Amino acid sequence: MLRCAWVLLALVVTGCSEAPPAPAPKPMPSKLEGMWSDPPPTAVGTLCFFACTDAAIERLNALLDDPKNDARPFPQLAAEAQKHQTDNYLRPRLTEAALKTYPLDPADDPGFLRCEPWGLAKQMFAPHQLEIRRAGDDRIELRYGEWEAVRTVHVDGRAVPANVPPSRLGYSVGHFEGETLVVETSAVAPGITWWDSQHSDQFRVTERFTRSDDGETLNLTATIEDPWGLREPVVAKKIWRWAPNQKITPYDACEPATEFKKGTGEP
Amino acid sequence: MRRFRVGSAFRRTALLCMLILLALAVTPVASHHAFSPVYDAKKTIVVEGVVTQFRFVNPHAMMLMDVTDKKTGKVVKWNVEFAGRLNLEEAGWTADSIKPGELVKVTGNPTWTGSQRMAFVKLVRADGTTLEPGRAQRLSAIEEERRQRAKQREQQPAQQATPEK
Repeated sequence: MLRCAWVLLALVVTGCSEAPPAPAPKPMPSKLEGMWSDPPPTAVGTLCFFACTDAAIERLNALLDDPKNDARPFPQLAAEAQKHQTDNYLRPRLTEAALKTYPLDPADDPGFLRCEPWGLAKQMFAPHQLEIRRAGDDRIELRYGEWEAVRTVHVDGRAVPANVPPSRLGYSVGHFEGETLVVETSAVAPGITWWDSQHSDQFRVTERFTRSDDGETLNLTATIEDPWGLREPVVAKKIWRWAPNQKITPYDACEPATEFKKGTGEP
Repeated sequence: MRRFRVGSAFRRTALLCMLILLALAVTPVASHHAFSPVYDAKKTIVVEGVVTQFRFVNPHAMMLMDVTDKKTGKVVKWNVEFAGRLNLEEAGWTADSIKPGELVKVTGNPTWTGSQRMAFVKLVRADGTTLEPGRAQRLSAIEEERRQRAKQREQQPAQQATPEK
């Protein structure tokens, strides 16, 4: 019995002396950590619910400032601002190659047809929850409610390694500029953009995340490049609202489409 | 099965539905895919029946209901598709927001094929209480913002016209 007690004591001491708990990662040099979710219920927040550009925001503000539009329903004004964005900002930036299939039919969306998760070009603008967390001193995780997608951002100063094979969410490296988190991503497999155009594996994006002065919103400015699909970069915006009580729930009940009609997208 | 087409008896409801439907065009609540390949957003139907199941899941919550045709007595299963749990929780919904056994009247967009399936627009319980998607609250807040904006706009010329002392 005494021998057993000694053995047990030795095991306990050994166990305690081994593997001290990992130190908590250093906090970020900004207040981005935590849970964010859908934008504030403002006109611009709603316009940019998925993503938008300054072209749409300026157009919407002009429409809202015109008394002639006071009686028109907001969705109509937002649709007009989005059409302005499509006609005057997005479409002129697309190359002939991208224009051949633009806009893609929503009935051909692999997420709809086969429950295939989004690629980065849509995922980074996904509606609903976005949780930003340190996952060690050398990386930050971006966790999205939509598709339960997780992106890893390496913040140890490395560059994107050469010959990284393209993947759905690409390879991300990041750094802080003051309180702004700057994330650069490349090695993204061909996919679909948030404006329903195809993109190539030359797609790359620089995301700049900042928290508003009052702490209530997270603002993203994303500069998107793709020599195959874009004549010049698209600069997109998105807003999330601070949502500490929100949580990411399982995304496990997707069912492939069984009945649908083609040709129902925007003209 | 009781299936009401939008008509005079539902004019006010139809007007409300139209506003909500317009919201669908700009508020991407459809989560992982657009609703347009499956549902005709320009039409609404109303179906009354008893809830048999409510699945509070992602990417889309689903409700099954038994709808009885009052003439033939035949029971038909209807399927109602909602935004996802991720979205509905933002609007305060829970897994108990809709309970099996409840008698409900649901307004929704029909499928292009005319199947027994609809995209949720509004639900009215037997006691008259309603359930609406979060976008209805969002639109209400935006209308208040617009009123404030118009008020400020009206005050600006008056302020500008005030001579400096």
